[in-house]
Amino acid sequence: MSKKHKTPLLDELKKGKWPSFVNEIERAAEKSEMTDDLLGQVEQSYEEKVVHWKHGGMVGVKGYGSGIVGRFSDLPEKYPGIKEFHTVRINQPSGFFYTSDVLRSIVDIGEKHASSLFNFHGSTGDVQLLGAKTAELETIFQEYTKLGFDLGGSGSALRTPSCCVGKARCEFANYDAMHACNSITQAFQDEMHRPIFNYKFKFKFSACGNDCTASIARADLSVIGTWKDSIRIDQEAVKDYAKKFDLHKYVTDKCPTKCMSYNAEEGLKIDDSNCSKCMHCINTMPKALRPGTKGGATILIGSKAPMVSGPRLSMVLVPFYDIEEDAKNDYEWFKDLISKIWEFWDEYGVNRERIGELIQRVGIGNFIESIGLEPLPEMVASPRGNPFVLYEEYVEAGGEQG
Amino acid sequence: MTDETKVKLEEAIVNLIKEYANKKRFKPGDVVKEMESKFSASGVTKDDVKTAIRDLTDSGRLIYGYAGGSFLALPE
Amino acid sequence: MAEVSGVKRITDIGPHDYNDFLHPVIKKNYGKWKYHEILSPSHMVHVSEDGDKIYTVRVGSPRLVSSSFIKDLCDLADKYSGGYLRFTTRNNVEFLLDKEENIKPLLDDVGKLNLPAGGIGNVVANIVHTQGWVHCHTAASDASGVVKSLMDELYEYYVNAQLPTKVRIAFACCLNMCGAVHCSDIAVLGIHRRPPRLIPDRIVNLCEIPSTIASCPTNVIRPDTYNGKPSVKLIEEGCVFCGNCFTVCPGMPIADPLNDGVSIWVGGKVSNARSKPAFSKLAVPFLENDPPRWPKVVEAVKTILDAYKKGAHNGERVGEWIERIGWPKFFKVTGFEFTKYHIDDFRLGEATLNYSAQIRQ
Repeated sequence: MSKKHKTPLLDELKKGKWPSFVNEIERAAEKSEMTDDLLGQVEQSYEEKVVHWKHGGMVGVKGYGSGIVGRFSDLPEKYPGIKEFHTVRINQPSGFFYTSDVLRSIVDIGEKHASSLFNFHGSTGDVQLLGAKTAELETIFQEYTKLGFDLGGSGSALRTPSCCVGKARCEFANYDAMHACNSITQAFQDEMHRPIFNYKFKFKFSACGNDCTASIARADLSVIGTWKDSIRIDQEAVKDYAKKFDLHKYVTDKCPTKCMSYNAEEGLKIDDSNCSKCMHCINTMPKALRPGTKGGATILIGSKAPMVSGPRLSMVLVPFYDIEEDAKNDYEWFKDLISKIWEFWDEYGVNRERIGELIQRVGIGNFIESIGLEPLPEMVASPRGNPFVLYEEYVEAGGEQG
Repeated sequence: MTDETKVKLEEAIVNLIKEYANKKRFKPGDVVKEMESKFSASGVTKDDVKTAIRDLTDSGRLIYGYAGGSFLALPE
Repeated sequence: MAEVSGVKRITDIGPHDYNDFLHPVIKKNYGKWKYHEILSPSHMVHVSEDGDKIYTVRVGSPRLVSSSFIKDLCDLADKYSGGYLRFTTRNNVEFLLDKEENIKPLLDDVGKLNLPAGGIGNVVANIVHTQGWVHCHTAASDASGVVKSLMDELYEYYVNAQLPTKVRIAFACCLNMCGAVHCSDIAVLGIHRRPPRLIPDRIVNLCEIPSTIASCPTNVIRPDTYNGKPSVKLIEEGCVFCGNCFTVCPGMPIADPLNDGVSIWVGGKVSNARSKPAFSKLAVPFLENDPPRWPKVVEAVKTILDAYKKGAHNGERVGEWIERIGWPKFFKVTGFEFTKYHIDDFRLGEATLNYSAQIRQ
């Protein structure tokens, strides 16, 4: 219970079977007195149905324009403990793997210097310490760097890249997403900590089309695993599945390209040249099927939430990228592609315009031409259906070009 | 870039932010473009300007602010 | 490296190397996993080509947690999984065990802490959500409170697999949508419905006018002057209540207790399995904020889930079920009213109209 504030509305949210965030705020307040005032302010928001945080402010650690998000109460006299209650974004290890030792050290810093309240993890991927006073920020930063952790991205910068569990614990992984994520994050520390972009830029690495990081919906650059060769089939295991459920109804009939057939004599047959790597059959029969061994990734570009010109999904930019080969070369090809994309964005983009919106504005054809990629049929669901074409050339009588 | 140019570049950046304080919020990218053209005769590159901004923020002469987008400002 | 009061500062070291935190069985079998098997909604096993096994026990968290919560998890990890654990993108905790016999006592201890074990397979996955009134200045609704109320009601769907396939629910407390809310089976989205209030003194002193004008997706923020200083005016009729101007300019607050609330969206997905990834579509345009437990929101989500459970074939996601039965039937079986707000009239909205005579009469 809050020591200072009565919280009858929040107390209602301590009931029920799902673990309660109200209990968690109270437990944090037992360690950090300042957090008690958070209960008071949130209770007031529940009474008035309105938020009580002010617009951000000029807070950060020296030299970085990222990693700290300013948060100030608009009722600082009433709730002095949360007058300053900033977010510290701590870049997570790839795949969100931890040992108990390092986790204890991470939260100890929050107990000692801030609110004892965390998100494991924020939507983008960082560990978030919610509630640090301005004067403590530098100390907190130094404590985390001593522990081997750095701040993540915020503002008009590269946001903390994130990835799925990949090859660490998933047989569907077509490339080493954790390695790629960590390497790319390390390569672009400057772009992450010193905002120089028009707006945010996000990378997400998912090692198969199931896309556990939701990269296709929320990454400016989505790197999604795929493969070139044949699905690996264990026919005996297929037969075992056929005993458990109707293989036609739940597997072959649901194949979007109808590239597979099954009968008891011949087993499962797949026309891999017509397989679109959707993962359905593999998801349904994980003991029997695995992606091929020639793994790689499809690179897609431009997804984002609604601001400013509406939500977008990522669209195909590179149908097959041999990422495992490029990894041997420290992802040089990929980094070069990224540089070209960022140069184009820097040159033609405007303030607060995401790359997907810029591409929409200037036209995908112009964009891919500028970054040196060829137009490919894999980029479209279909060719255009309207005849308003910006032909760039015509021929004059006598064979001259106009 | 010579040491002398570097000093001039850093001064020019700080003066730009000072001159437009409370009028225009300069994104670091805007500063890079502005300085690249201003110092083009001295052979200053984009990376030189980025380094200068980094040195200025590391030393605390400039800080980063955020209001829907990141910008450079004088310390409060 | 810069120095602050004589201390050498460490900067730009980047994230801690994940290799330092991997379970030895995971390290040994990295990239060599053969298959996995879901043994219950709370645990699964991954088997490697060498026959090694790693067991995963999944436990739900409320996302907003205390240091004490994390230390509880650490104690469990020390006791049962050699200290190794990870988190999922949906805020679950996963204990990684190499001893099968540790699963049951771990689950018993998880139960003693009143934590839910589940979230694997044909379940309602943990709801991903944003900060809400707890820690955000643009929130149109709380996040944690709505999600807690929903998960209390949907608890059985998390701990027992009883749905046609997995259902992913997401909550965002405003249109900034921190998280992939717009591609979820069911999305709950905080919305404003009243144009921002203009506070001229704040606008002229705190806001950069050109970027405030540029922030409007419908171009209804126009240049104006106030006491001879550059300011803005707003053509209220064209406002779509996105709140983007407030993000850029603190002089245009949009939060309004009487008019803020949530909308509900359905049928989105991010996975490429079978059908392509898709946006969630509008089901319920507005429900008022009703703290502390938002009963109407809970009821609406429950209505969608019940109709889905009853009508969907095994293996069909919410969006696939609706595509099969058609949107008119979706509105019929849920009882939600179809209004003019459901017809998209924003940019690219034309693509969502029905250009055919294919109608389930």
